[in-house]
Amino acid sequence: MFLVSRRSGLAAALLAGALAIAGPAAAADATALLKAAFDNWRGKSSRATIEMTIHRPAWERGLTMQSWTEGDDKALVRFTAPAKERGNATLKLGHETWIYNPKLNQTIKLPASMLAQSWLGSDFSYNDLAKAEDILTDYTHRITGTATVDGHTAYDIEAVPKPGAPVVWGKQAVRVRDDGVMLREAFYDQDMKLVRVMTTEKIGPLGGRPYPLVLVMRPADEPGRWTRIETTSAQFDVALPASLFTRSNLENPRG
Amino acid sequence: MGGLSLLAPMAWRNLWRNPRRTWITLAVVAVGLYSILVFAALLDAWARSSRDAALDVLIGSGQVHAPRYLDDQTIAQRMAAPGARLRAVLDGPSVEGWADRVRTPAVIQSEYKTLPAELLGVRPARERAISVVPRDVSAGRYLAGDADGGIVLGAHLAKRLKTRLGKRVIVMAQDATGALAQRSFRVVGLYSASQEDEDRFAFTGIEPAQAMLGIGTDVSEISFKLADDAGAPATVAALKAAGPGLDVRPWTALAPLTAAMNSFMEAFVYIWLWIMFVLMAIGIVNTQLMAVFERVREFGLLQALGMRPRLVLAEVLLESALLIGLGVLAGAAAAVATVLAFSGGVDLHFLARGAEFFGAGHVLYPRLAPAQFAAVSALVWALGVLVALWPAGKAAGSSPAEVMSHAQ
Repeated sequence: MFLVSRRSGLAAALLAGALAIAGPAAAADATALLKAAFDNWRGKSSRATIEMTIHRPAWERGLTMQSWTEGDDKALVRFTAPAKERGNATLKLGHETWIYNPKLNQTIKLPASMLAQSWLGSDFSYNDLAKAEDILTDYTHRITGTATVDGHTAYDIEAVPKPGAPVVWGKQAVRVRDDGVMLREAFYDQDMKLVRVMTTEKIGPLGGRPYPLVLVMRPADEPGRWTRIETTSAQFDVALPASLFTRSNLENPRG
Repeated sequence: MGGLSLLAPMAWRNLWRNPRRTWITLAVVAVGLYSILVFAALLDAWARSSRDAALDVLIGSGQVHAPRYLDDQTIAQRMAAPGARLRAVLDGPSVEGWADRVRTPAVIQSEYKTLPAELLGVRPARERAISVVPRDVSAGRYLAGDADGGIVLGAHLAKRLKTRLGKRVIVMAQDATGALAQRSFRVVGLYSASQEDEDRFAFTGIEPAQAMLGIGTDVSEISFKLADDAGAPATVAALKAAGPGLDVRPWTALAPLTAAMNSFMEAFVYIWLWIMFVLMAIGIVNTQLMAVFERVREFGLLQALGMRPRLVLAEVLLESALLIGLGVLAGAAAAVATVLAFSGGVDLHFLARGAEFFGAGHVLYPRLAPAQFAAVSALVWALGVLVALWPAGKAAGSSPAEVMSHAQ
């Protein structure tokens, strides 16, 4: 009896190891799961049309933007509607961010003091754009639980900042589906009190993959405030010209 | 001398011929001088407090910077760590203490807020000799050493950041290459100072700051505190000679508003003295003129008996000198007693943060300045005697024949 159970235990361990090699979808490696979620979100490169809704107790407004990304560190976002915001653009290259305002016809390299400011009045900050992948590099990850959601396995991952990492959060709690769709990202302060949470409210196929179509960011202490981001169309792993992620293209869009 | 031995008892007795009038004049002089002296001591305490509040945080008696630092207070305007020649002057007897620092505009980020501040990389042991910040840590601890990677924030800044002891904050600043440098610091202490300073300065060890900004062992400023402020020009000149090309300035050039406030306070004491003195003079002249007019017949008689007008003048002046002298003594004695009684400190906490608007600390320490007390008292006495020349002249100038035939 003893022998049998030991053997089956060994078999289970081997099986788990094989699955881990087979791919993140099947394995329970927290870091790989997160990486998969980010890759799924962005692809090697991406081109997308996004609608953003900023909701406040007294008002609500919508913005439309085009976004292009390549790899981890290149991103360009340009607003197309409403007319008032049209042409406003943000370019991110590595750790540097530039913003272009067509009314001023001026490009500003974002100073540190502005990084935490709200991005066009939304509940996202420039930091959220610039530091989105910090969760991969500056945190250690651990799976805290699993659940079954819509026939998929969803993993709850706790991400704790590495010692000395330039991160203000106490921790982040992320829920990722086994096919790489991020379901929830919660930010906690250093007392482990929830500060804000981003939830995926609609999942659908997009650009040939399951995709979080609607994301909503909500500050925890201010009910009635949220920002919703809906990706209406997207292509992934497309070839993008190198001239796209340049300051000259930020100011004078081509193509 | 024989004249004085005759005149002094006469003057003294005349003083008490109308005690009520004498007491009133005495009171006028005493209260006037008392107000001048106490006011001067308080103003002086206020001026010192506001000066110390401004200087003892960071400025010191003077500072050394790279040439363009004061125009562009960033890490780009830095200088090498003080060399042997500069150290020789700084370690000299005229300098009580000095500290080199790294100083740069920065942004401090907590989970909830991002606020601008100035990051200072300091040497704690040196700071203790010249700054009140290490002493005014209200929670936690001050930095332990040059390599301490903790951060000490102003209590008010910490409150605004919604952070507290033991939490991490991220400091972002431009490094030597102009790129964004960021580092996580743990809050190890909170200090209390004026709200403005609390919001403005954040302290960490000099080594983590230098490492974060990529500036090797370079520093932004050297602050020094002199044993005696009077030696400032000599020390500044010596430092300029020892550090050619560096910008050496005394505190009066670094904090011109504080310097202006300081000299205004001194001038104000004398403005107040003049106002009070004019009021006192009116009282003295009025009383003495009344006394003289009452006694015209007496002066006429004295002169008729052969007293010279000069002696009449001297007699009346002596009366005034005695009268004002007594008032001055009483006023000065009361002022000394008052200042000594409050030398433990006048607590301005009832003004709360309002006192900061005038640049003062929360407790004023009036101090007895014997030279100033003596000078002001002597001045009031001398000026009092001077205005008493008028009634005295009236008395001496009366013609015996005229006044004795006149009236009664």
